[in-house]
Amino acid sequence: MPASSSASALSDPAWMRRLLIATALAFLALFLLLPLVAVFAEALRRGVGAYWTALVDEDALEAIKLTLIVAAIAVPANLVFGVAASWCVAKFDFYGKNLLITLIDLPFSVSPVISGLIYVLLFGLNGAIGPFLKAQGIQIIFAVPGLVLATIFVTFPFVARELIPLMQEQGTEEEEAALVLGAGGWQTFWRVTLPNIKWGLLYGVLLCNARAMGEFGAVSVVSGHIRGYTNTMPLHVEILYNEYNFVAAFAVASVLAMLALVTLVAKSALEWRFGAELAATRHK
Amino acid sequence: MAIQVSGITKQFGSYRALDSVDLEVRSGELLALLGPSGSGKTTLLRIMAGLESPDAGSLQLNGEEALGLKPRDRQVGFVFQHYALFRHMTVFDNVAFGLKVRPRAQRLPNAEIKRRVSELLELVQLGHFADRYPAQLSGGQRQRVALARALAIEPKVLLLDEPFGALDAKVRKELRRWLRKLHDEIHITSVFVTHDQEEALELADRVVVMSQGRIEQIGSPAEVYDHPSSAFVYEFLGQVNRFDCMVEGGLAHIGNGALAIPTDGDVRGAAIAYVRPHDLGVTPAVGGPGRVSGIHVVGPDARVEIELGGLFLEAEMDRERFTSLGMALGDSCSVHIDRARVFAR
Amino acid sequence: MVATSSADVAFPEKGSAVTSILKKPSVLPGFGLTLGFTLSYLGVIVLLPLGALIAKASGLGWYGFWGAVLTPRVFAAFEVSFGLSLAAAAVNAVFGFIVAWVLVRYEFPGKRLVDALVDLPFALPTAVAGIALSALYAPNGWVGKPLNELFGLKVAFTPIGIAIALTFVGLPFVVRTVQPILQELPPEEEEAAVSLGATRGQTFWQVVFPAVLPALVTGFALSFARGVGEYGSVIFIAGNMPGLTEILPLLIVIKLEQYDYAGAAAVGASMLLVSFVMLLILNILQHWMRSRHAR
Repeated sequence: MPASSSASALSDPAWMRRLLIATALAFLALFLLLPLVAVFAEALRRGVGAYWTALVDEDALEAIKLTLIVAAIAVPANLVFGVAASWCVAKFDFYGKNLLITLIDLPFSVSPVISGLIYVLLFGLNGAIGPFLKAQGIQIIFAVPGLVLATIFVTFPFVARELIPLMQEQGTEEEEAALVLGAGGWQTFWRVTLPNIKWGLLYGVLLCNARAMGEFGAVSVVSGHIRGYTNTMPLHVEILYNEYNFVAAFAVASVLAMLALVTLVAKSALEWRFGAELAATRHK
Repeated sequence: MAIQVSGITKQFGSYRALDSVDLEVRSGELLALLGPSGSGKTTLLRIMAGLESPDAGSLQLNGEEALGLKPRDRQVGFVFQHYALFRHMTVFDNVAFGLKVRPRAQRLPNAEIKRRVSELLELVQLGHFADRYPAQLSGGQRQRVALARALAIEPKVLLLDEPFGALDAKVRKELRRWLRKLHDEIHITSVFVTHDQEEALELADRVVVMSQGRIEQIGSPAEVYDHPSSAFVYEFLGQVNRFDCMVEGGLAHIGNGALAIPTDGDVRGAAIAYVRPHDLGVTPAVGGPGRVSGIHVVGPDARVEIELGGLFLEAEMDRERFTSLGMALGDSCSVHIDRARVFAR
Repeated sequence: MVATSSADVAFPEKGSAVTSILKKPSVLPGFGLTLGFTLSYLGVIVLLPLGALIAKASGLGWYGFWGAVLTPRVFAAFEVSFGLSLAAAAVNAVFGFIVAWVLVRYEFPGKRLVDALVDLPFALPTAVAGIALSALYAPNGWVGKPLNELFGLKVAFTPIGIAIALTFVGLPFVVRTVQPILQELPPEEEEAAVSLGATRGQTFWQVVFPAVLPALVTGFALSFARGVGEYGSVIFIAGNMPGLTEILPLLIVIKLEQYDYAGAAAVGASMLLVSFVMLLILNILQHWMRSRHAR
């Protein structure tokens, strides 16, 4: 006999509903919400004054600046790549396409530490082309270029994997229509393709940026932890924490946590908006 | 503008979509490419537009080789099956697109573009919808926007891929008549693809029946309907009774001698005979060889199913005649057929 | 008539190398440009550096490689990383499924907020998560203190702490793979089961669960793979005792700090290899399930 006494045959009994909701919420509160709250609580433990002092510390400001610089290079680079890759993957048929998609996704399945390691092995002083670069006076490892490269690697697939399914779903008919109507290749891209993918593009950029600014493992390996020079915000958090300067560590961490929250809000807003737009075009 | 297709062949992997197709589209005519799915008709249309390139053959537009030309240089208008309207642009911007993307030197002034677009929207009876987005239009309205957009660039040829395929039956009929009228006004050389024989027969000046990458028959609607040149065309166009038969001495013997029908042509031996339901005469006859096994009266038409010597035949007549015959289910009857079309097996 | 001579007119691009690898010719432009750029960028950013890792590791030779990998310390780190990642992925499979179920099937206030919160581990930098978890579960922390006083349970600087950090980073993978599948599950299937006399429990275990299982396995695998490679959120809470709470990525960092590049490359390469094999097995398993429960 069905235990349910409610109207629909498919609804679970109330006690089970409540139990499952309570379980899920308790789990999420313990594992997700509590750490988030802890960041701000620890940051403000000694009051707003100490918090603010930690944030306007010279090294902290340098770390913020470097984080912004790294993201400002890595994100646009992966944006251009993502658009190019999804154009050739989604709009054309060719041999080895699935292999290419797999390779594009590859950086997601590589440990961040290994992502840093490979650049050390390539560009480090004992590396494959490190000595040659050293002779040219170019330093990549323990310098900003290394941070940028490692960040590009770990954020490599974000834009592409967002755009590829979107563009595959949209097909090629609109582009063909534009071409028949006399548009050139770039005109077709700017006027027809780009407006159709702009929300997906923004979505990918948002996630790419969050990871670029927050990356720790990969940049930790290539940075050398030189204060005020190769220290991004996450690395600065680590240094402060290991120095038992907890308030300062959590103060810098709280800025990163706010970035995460802004990202989540913007992402949810986009999903709401973007989803509606997609639905409108699907139900013709 | 006339189109000359010669020896066009197109292969997709191991599948031959077009097999050495020859076709002439006459200037100013409305031509239908008719066939089941997989017959190659859409591929042929896309080759004409430059959206697909053939593996061999030639395509001439007004006597000039066109295969090397890009779509934009062929001066063709193309209407896509699912319209392919730009979803982020208004109706106005959709129609204006082809005019706005021209190189600066050839581009019309904005006021002129505006005038042209408004004119076209009037032509397709969508003057009030200029500011709507495609998602806010019905299927039939979208189809007309797609048409206006294709016409905006003043093409020499209009190519339409299943133009009514995604519409419901009523809108489909209206739009069909409207397109015919439009064609009679502007007389642009037009080719449309369809799998609906009724649509092709009603709308087109000439019909090209295609099957498995080849052209089965080209002719006026009356020609292809009344004188099908192959068994495929006969079966594809309209309702048909199909029998296995033996042809001897000018007679097709059907159903172990139950029927012997005069044939034309010189087919002999095992063959297939075709008879249209409205060419099949039925009269009530006590003790006759046939038996009425089904009656369907819908609207002005009546369809009568007859069992005869193990065969099932279908006859079609108007309702008045059916009423005057006074037949009921299970009655005996006799069947007479003036002529059958026979194709060798 | 012109049939033969027109063949060369038809394919002005046929000669170029890029277009000839096209399976299906297309009228859209930019294939050569975008594919060329994609392959070059992929090559420089991803393939070349990964190649350097492989080259370095294989430069050690067969015995050198295994000599570097088969030490008790590396072995223990393998056990810690893979074992605890499995444990965390298992916890996530259970609770992630419940979270996904609750988000799809039930209505409750603040649902959208909760839905957005699930992605927090994707958005929160791992180092931030690491210090926050470590502060929470430290013997004097909000959660660590009661656990310690009431149950004598130590979390931070023990394997349990690592498992908690890995649960944190892996949770969204399970929820976000299971959620859409649950969402698209046609209610008719369940209605059919109920109409045929099945109880709610039978309907769930025999109709719903098999349909969701492949996605659950995918989420499990993703969560697991993420756990094996995770660094930032773990090192603060782990204690990093060699042989006990030392994870593989940390071991790589330590080897690098000791300028043992070859050793680091060997551990890195073996880690990639093992992850790859495990994911392959899971993929095969999943493929097998998919073909059985073809939907």
